[in-house]
Amino acid sequence: MFTPLSSVPDALLDAALDRLLPGGDGWPAAGTLDLGDVVRTQGARVPAQSASVRAALSALPADFADQPAPAQEAALRAVEQAAPADFAALVAAAYSAYYADPRVHAVIAEKSGTPVRPPQPEGHVLPVFDESLLAGVKARGPIWRPV
Amino acid sequence: MADDAADVLIVGSGASGGAVAWRLASAGIKVVCLEQGNWLDPARIPSNQPDWEFRRLTDWNPNPNVRRGPADYPIVDAASPIKPLLYNGVGGSTIMWSTMHPRFHPSDFRVRTLDGVGDDWPLTYDELAPYYDLNDRMMGVSGLAGDTAYPPRPARPFGPLGLTGGGRTLAEAMDRLGWHWWPAERSQISAPSGDRQACNNCGWCEAGCPRRAKGSTDVTYWPAALAAGAVLKTGARVFEITVDDQGRATGAHYFDASGNIRHKAADKVVMAANGIGTPRLLLLSVSKLFPDGLANSSGLVGRNLMFHPIANVTGVFDTMINGHTGNSTVSLYCQQFYETDPTRGFARGFMMAGLRSQGPMVTATGGWAKPLAWGESHHRDFMALAGRTGSISILCEDLPDERNHVGIDASVCDAWGIPSASLHYQIDQNSERMLAYGMARAREALVEAGARDVVDKALLSEAGFHLMGTAKMGSDPARSVTDRWGRSHDVPNLYIVDGSLFVTSAAVNPTPTIQALALRIADHLIASRGAGG
Repeated sequence: MFTPLSSVPDALLDAALDRLLPGGDGWPAAGTLDLGDVVRTQGARVPAQSASVRAALSALPADFADQPAPAQEAALRAVEQAAPADFAALVAAAYSAYYADPRVHAVIAEKSGTPVRPPQPEGHVLPVFDESLLAGVKARGPIWRPV
Repeated sequence: MADDAADVLIVGSGASGGAVAWRLASAGIKVVCLEQGNWLDPARIPSNQPDWEFRRLTDWNPNPNVRRGPADYPIVDAASPIKPLLYNGVGGSTIMWSTMHPRFHPSDFRVRTLDGVGDDWPLTYDELAPYYDLNDRMMGVSGLAGDTAYPPRPARPFGPLGLTGGGRTLAEAMDRLGWHWWPAERSQISAPSGDRQACNNCGWCEAGCPRRAKGSTDVTYWPAALAAGAVLKTGARVFEITVDDQGRATGAHYFDASGNIRHKAADKVVMAANGIGTPRLLLLSVSKLFPDGLANSSGLVGRNLMFHPIANVTGVFDTMINGHTGNSTVSLYCQQFYETDPTRGFARGFMMAGLRSQGPMVTATGGWAKPLAWGESHHRDFMALAGRTGSISILCEDLPDERNHVGIDASVCDAWGIPSASLHYQIDQNSERMLAYGMARAREALVEAGARDVVDKALLSEAGFHLMGTAKMGSDPARSVTDRWGRSHDVPNLYIVDGSLFVTSAAVNPTPTIQALALRIADHLIASRGAGG
């Protein structure tokens, strides 16, 4: 299926993702996760946003993927200034793909010490409600308004 | 093509339609319900997928204009800052509701008498109380009796769910401030029951519940209604309520799943298509006898549209509070500011509700705090928020205003060519003042709880779940659409049972009141069987 992002080269997309979500300190750089197809698939569900993402990427220099990191960052800042709505769509697409990746979830879990996973099937265990917490509320008495 | 007449035809299978169908069928009444959507296949619910947050924003979005499902109809919402959230399918919007289950208060039925605003309801809390209790049992409500913000009530059918991460911190802060708080009543079972598993605190109730722990009417009322003999036709898209020469309803025209026009005849017609869908169908049902739409001699069909204006304030904490655990919406609420206090500068009041953090994608893209910057600082900023935020929502009573309304926009149609509904709505000054006051109280509570930073989100746009007031009940036919039994003043065998009936909105989630009203009206229909009305 053709989408506005179908013809965007992987090299360009990966380079942009790397600058938006760079690696380090245990985090994978977004461009190393082969997220191109995820970005395209997600973009197909939001055609208007997908068109904005394409516009933002099209505004980057033709040799963007081959530029050094500081030059890439400067180019992205320039697009952010010139076309903020398109650029915001690009950032949102990058975050949407990155944070849907189980490898990223694993890093968050390791760093936070808490599980990061889809809501089901495991859910979460919560402490049983402690009714003694309500002692103060009960002591203050009813607040409902009689009619 | 016509088929056999039903005793009662119900349009819509959601919160109210399911309740009415069960009650009537259980009394031996021949009930047929037309539902334009289908049964939800639990295997389709994306809550076990790693991209669940993206799905929530796209094809699993509660906003039908974003979701664009095959059963949805477009709603023109450019003239409303609050966007419509609803679901079309068996269970209606209970499929995507967040299960908050609070009742109205006795005072909510007497706001004109008590505070000089809105209107009084043509019934009382005490009349509705037995139906609230019945509905609590049918839906499976968890909670704790003894809430000091309400008159005494029976024990809840299930014990309370645990507080979400950060909930205890917030509760203790409210306690230090001397404020009311109470664990939220939820239509989620906290212990197994029949074929329903206990809630496992996954947090994404709005997606639909693969464990059947959540009380949506496809899980609660409908199995019982079908067992009692009710007939439910899915893929049946109603476009007109039909009438005879005497002005009595005769049934409904609908498109079946193949696009064929059919007619379902019935002795009585019950509208249960929600606060947008019901006025849409009534306004579309134009005839020689009813040139302005059915049941609309008052001109109030579609008028007095009420939402609940909602704002959020989020606190960021230095310590991990496991904010990502538990219900994504409310685990505790505060009704300290529920009733009118003239010193606050507005009439009526609001409820505050404690919310947990959001998932990683929504945390990064902004959610209830701020969008995170891209680049080298991103991961550090992300970890400063992950599991470390808690929010308070402020849900305001919305006063009725006839200028706020549901209309018809024939320039936009659904897949079968049926004109769409349009929303025309503005926030009034009373709500603006209430939101500002409520956000200040929320900030106060979060700072007391230890938040190092607080972030406001004034007036959420994607918050139009509560659709009320568009066919209000009352005793005066010139000032209301139905009588106190939901019966049309104009069409004696036409009833309305959904949120359209609401006279005022209160400051709590409306579903339990919608369902209690529906059950009460069903009992009236049973009692008046054979009486002609």
